[in-house]
Amino acid sequence: MISLHVNGERRDARESRRNLLSYLRFDLGLTGTKYGCGEGLCGACTVLVDGQPLRACLATVGSVAGGHLTTIEGLASGDVLHPVQQAFVDLSAAQCGYCIPGFVMSAVALLARVPQPDSGQVREALSENMCRCGTYLRIERAVLRASGVSD
Amino acid sequence: MTAYPVAGLSIQGASALGLPLPATGYARQAYGTVSADFGPATWLTVGADGRVTVFAGKVEYGQGIRWGLAMAAAEELGLQTDAVNVVLGDTDRVPWDIGTFGSQSTRYTGVQVRRAAATARETLLELAVARLDLPADQLTCEGGSVTSRGDGGRSLRFEDLLENQQLVREIPENVQLKAASDFTVMGTNTKRLDVIERVTGRAVYSRDVIRPGMLFARVLRPIAFGASLAALDTSLAERMPGVFQIVTDDGLVAVLAGTDQQADAAHDALIAEWTERLGNISQWDLPRLLAEESRDRVTTQEAGDVESALSKASHRLEATYYVPYIPVAPMEPRAAVAEWEGTSLTVWAGTQRPFGIRSELAALFGIEEKQVRVIAPEIGGGFGGKSLYRPAMEAAKLARIAARPVRVAYSRDEEMTWSTFRPAALITIRSGFDGDGRLTAWDFHAVHTTADRPMIGQRGSETPYQVKDLRVVVSAGPAPLKPGSYRSLGCAVNHFAREVHTDEIAASLGVDPVEIRLRNLPDPRYRRVLEVASAQFGWHTAAAPSGAGVGVAIGLDVGSYTAECVSIEVQGKEIAVNRVSAALDCGLVFNPDGARSQMEGAIVMGLGSTLFEAAEFENGRLLNGSFARYRVPRINRTPQIDVALVGTDANPSTGAGEPGIVPIAAAVANALFDCTSNRIRELPLQRQL
Repeated sequence: MISLHVNGERRDARESRRNLLSYLRFDLGLTGTKYGCGEGLCGACTVLVDGQPLRACLATVGSVAGGHLTTIEGLASGDVLHPVQQAFVDLSAAQCGYCIPGFVMSAVALLARVPQPDSGQVREALSENMCRCGTYLRIERAVLRASGVSD
Repeated sequence: MTAYPVAGLSIQGASALGLPLPATGYARQAYGTVSADFGPATWLTVGADGRVTVFAGKVEYGQGIRWGLAMAAAEELGLQTDAVNVVLGDTDRVPWDIGTFGSQSTRYTGVQVRRAAATARETLLELAVARLDLPADQLTCEGGSVTSRGDGGRSLRFEDLLENQQLVREIPENVQLKAASDFTVMGTNTKRLDVIERVTGRAVYSRDVIRPGMLFARVLRPIAFGASLAALDTSLAERMPGVFQIVTDDGLVAVLAGTDQQADAAHDALIAEWTERLGNISQWDLPRLLAEESRDRVTTQEAGDVESALSKASHRLEATYYVPYIPVAPMEPRAAVAEWEGTSLTVWAGTQRPFGIRSELAALFGIEEKQVRVIAPEIGGGFGGKSLYRPAMEAAKLARIAARPVRVAYSRDEEMTWSTFRPAALITIRSGFDGDGRLTAWDFHAVHTTADRPMIGQRGSETPYQVKDLRVVVSAGPAPLKPGSYRSLGCAVNHFAREVHTDEIAASLGVDPVEIRLRNLPDPRYRRVLEVASAQFGWHTAAAPSGAGVGVAIGLDVGSYTAECVSIEVQGKEIAVNRVSAALDCGLVFNPDGARSQMEGAIVMGLGSTLFEAAEFENGRLLNGSFARYRVPRINRTPQIDVALVGTDANPSTGAGEPGIVPIAAAVANALFDCTSNRIRELPLQRQL
C-alpha cells in the first residue's frame, strides 16, 4: 500500500505502478488535471509534488509515495482563489481552458521559485505548456499580474 | 426538444432560424442529411426565482459563446453579464442547432437570444404595468427589477412579478431590440464568464465524465490508413488483468477493462495481422499528383475573357504555391462516454454537432432521435475539426454490447492520426497588370485535397481586387489523409497564394505592398482595415525587399474583413515574428474583448501552420502524430499582437473567430521576402529555409 498526501488529505493507493495522472483523475475523481499527450510534452497534466512541478502523465503513484501533491483543485482556499487563478480570471486568460490548469500549476511553481519574474522568465518557465487556442499573451500578463508586477 | 413551460416565464421561438444557405449547403455536403427541427423551442426562461437562463444549441469550445450570449441577454434585460446562466449543447434541453462552425453563433444565435430577451423584457414590463399602475414608458427594466422612472421606490423584482405564474410567450416577429446607441453591456469590455471553472479544474470536458460502473475502452486502430484486419488473436489479451470483454463487432475491435491502464495493456497484447493497402500516396508525391489530377472543377468567380486579357497585358506573372496538410491537434483528444437505459441512449461527446451526432446515433441503432440524448460538455479545442466525432458511435456500440457505460478516449496519436486534416492545396496563379500594378487579368486555379468536400477549398478563393477579366477555379484533388474542417476551411490557404502573389506583383514593379493593395481594392470596408492596420503598425512606404522584415496581407472570411502587418527577424533557420498589427471589421461588435481574444488566438494558431506545422505521411502512416515530432506555437515565441476593432453598427455582426488566421501566412511570407529577398511559395516557411 502506497500513501501520499493530495491537497492536504492522506490518500492510499494499492498499486505502485498506477499511472499518477490516471490515479488522480479516475481513482480520486480529481479531473482538473488533464491528459494532453501522455509524453510529458504539453504540460496539461502538471501537478506540484512538494512544491515542484511534475508531469503526472509520466509518473507512477509509487514514484511520489509519501509526497505532498497539490492539484488544481487544491489551490484555492474555499472560495478565495490563489492569486494566479484570480489573475487569470481578471484578464479572461482562458479560451477552451483545457490547458489552463497546467499553466496555473506551472505558474504557481515559478512564482514560488522566482516571486517577481520578468517577462522572459515567465515565457521560459511556461514554454513547456501548450495552448492551442493561442491564449499565451493573456497568460503571460496574468502571471506577471499575480506576481504583483503591474502590466 | 419539446418546448415546455416552467414556473415563471418561458420565451419560445423557432429553432432552425436564419440558417444561411451556404452553411446548410456545407453542412449537407460535409455531414450528410441535416434534419432540422424548426421548433418552437425554449430560448430563455426567467424562473419563479427571477433567474435568467438562456438555452442555445451551440457548444463552447473556447470561442466564448457562453460569454457572448450572456452579454446579449443581459443587454436586453438590463442585467450584468454574470447574472445570466447559459445552457449549451445538450440535445434534451436546448433548441435544435445545425452545429457550431462557420462563425454563425453571434451572427444568428446571438440575435435570436437578444430577441428572446427583449420579449422577456416586454413581458415583464407588461406585468409591471398592471402591478405598479404605470404606463410602460414610465418603467425601466434594470438589475433584475422593473422600476418606475420617476420613483425608484416603486419597483418589483422579476421574482415578484412572476410569483405563481407559468407564462409562455412566443417571440413576436417585430420584437423591438435595443438600439446600439443605448447599449450598456454589448460593445463593452466584460470579464469572460467561465474562467473560474477553468482555473479551478471544475469545468467538465468529455474526458472528465465518469459514470458509475463505467468501463474503459481501447479501440484497435489499423496499422496504416486503408489497412484491413487479416487475423486477430485475442487469447493473450483476454487473460490480462482487469479485462471485462474483448469486442469484435463489424470492424470494431476493442478491449473493455476496469481501468484505462488495464485497457491499454490488454490492447497491447492483441495480436493483429493486417493487410495493407498498396499505393498509398506519400507527402512527397502529393504536389505532383495535385498538378496532374483534379476533378470537380467549380468556377467561383468569372468575368470577361481572361486568356485574351493575359495575352494583352503589359506585365505578366505566373507562380505556383503549395500548402501541406495539417492536423487540427486540439489540446483535448476526443472522448465519449455512452450509457444505455433500456432503448434510450445518452452520450457525452465533445462535438461541435451534438444534434448531428444525435441523428447519426439514432440512424446507427435504428431508434428515434428522441431516444438519444447527446450532451456536449466543455470542449478542449475544436477549431472546426470536432464536427465529426467517431468515438461517440464507438462508445455507444460498445456500451450496448457490454450493457455497461463505456468510455472511449483517444490517445494523442489517435487524435492526430484518426481525425481529419486541413486539406493540402496546390494553387497556380497567372496575373496580368499594368505598369502601376493595376490588375488587368487574374487566373487562379486551386486544387485542394478535399475529396468529396470541395466547399472546403472554395472558401475564400474569390479575389477582392478589381479586375475586369478574371477566372477563379477550385478543384478537388486526391485525398490521402481525411479532409475536414479547420479554422476558416480553405480560406487561409487560398489567401496565402493570392496575397503572396499580390506582393510579388508589387515587388516586380517596385511598388509599396500596402499601396498596391489600395490601388486595386474598391471595397471601403476592406480599404479601412488595411489603412488602420498599417497605421497602427507604423508602416513606412517602401518597396520590398527593404531589408526591414515587414509584410502585409489582407483577408475576408465569414463576412468579416481583416488586415495584418507583421515584422520579423530571421535567426538561422528560425523566423522570429516579433509583432503583429491587426485590424478587424466584423460589423457590430457584441463583445470587444471576446473578438480581440479570438483574433489573438487565430493569429497564434496561424503562425504554427505558417512557420513549421505540416503532416508528414508515408506508406499510409502519419509520421508525426506525437508532440515530440509535431511542433506547435509556444508562449516563448509569441509576438506582440495589437488588434484594432473597426466595425460599426452600420453592419450586422459577423464572425470574429476565423478571420485572424486568414492573412497571417502571407503576411509573414511577404515579410520574409522583405527581410531576405527570398520568395517562398510553400508552407511551412521554416522548412524552406
